Amino acid sequence: APLNTKPVEPPQPSAALQSLKSARFLSAINPALYPTNISSPNPALNSAVAAKGKSFKYDKEFLLQFQKVFVEKPSMEFESQIKALIGDGDGGSARSASAR
Amino acid sequence: QNKQPSVAGSDEQITVFHDKDNFNVKHPLMHKWTLWFTKPPSGKGDNWNDLLKEVITFNSVEEFWGVYNNIAPTGELALKSDYHLFKEGVRPEWEDIQNKHGGKWSYQFREKKNVPIDELWLHIMLAAIGETLEDETDGEVMGVVVNVRKGFYRIGVWTRTIGKSIPNGGDGDVAGGKGRTQEKGKEVLMNIGKKFKEVLKLPPSETVEFSGHTDSAHSGSTRAKAKFTI
Repeated sequence: APLNTKPVEPPQPSAALQSLKSARFLSAINPALYPTNISSPNPALNSAVAAKGKSFKYDKEFLLQFQKVFVEKPSMEFESQIKALIGDGDGGSARSASAR
Repeated sequence: QNKQPSVAGSDEQITVFHDKDNFNVKHPLMHKWTLWFTKPPSGKGDNWNDLLKEVITFNSVEEFWGVYNNIAPTGELALKSDYHLFKEGVRPEWEDIQNKHGGKWSYQFREKKNVPIDELWLHIMLAAIGETLEDETDGEVMGVVVNVRKGFYRIGVWTRTIGKSIPNGGDGDVAGGKGRTQEKGKEVLMNIGKKFKEVLKLPPSETVEFSGHTDSAHSGSTRAKAKFTI
């Protein structure tokens, strides 16, 4: 058996993040694509321009279906970036800000 | 470990709904969008440019949710914070060349405790990225914004024009173009205002207001005289 001499590797992106990065963009909206429990984008939104080519209008109901499905951070560094930019969301800086 | 679709050939389209870890197609947005964050001032004479921070640019529905699910909800932000979601390449400032002839629809929620601000901000962002705030050829929407303040939350939609032609706006029937009559320019803005009010679930008794950015700038206040109301 080959020797397993694993070097110390940096953390790897999750499968979901790898899929996000490598997935192809859909070239058209196809209502037949979705599992039966998922509603496709409202066809009325895109019908007016369908003849001219690509339209990707999405109704709120369609978009909300992704909320619990794609929860991965959009990059490996996102969490640390957000902490630096926004903080932990504890509202701490509100107290120190001068109330003009 | 590279999983291949096992049954069908490699042409099979697997969405995030089929397999949330191993999908091979994603949903494009019609525009790229950039999320910005305004940090609350420290009270030590900060430069506005140091407070306005670009967070991330994305162009798929899936990535939008990756961002949204991993940042602080509006209700947890410190006072004097803002989120801005703008089309890529447009700074969320009056002075940006693409904003300076424009304006905004806005509404202040004064009952902060009773307002589902996280849901309202989410819904206005979904209307922006889903392109349902305006018609295909309107070309007005630049971005959406939420302000967290001591006495209120405010949500706004920024537009390219105030319903008139703008310098270098071209000759066509486009936002700011000479080929778009003032009548149509106003109608486009009014329709965006109606949609805005609908997304925010405001009752008919409430009023949303449109004002031009330069009116605001000259009056030295963001509460300039409203140009249109719905």
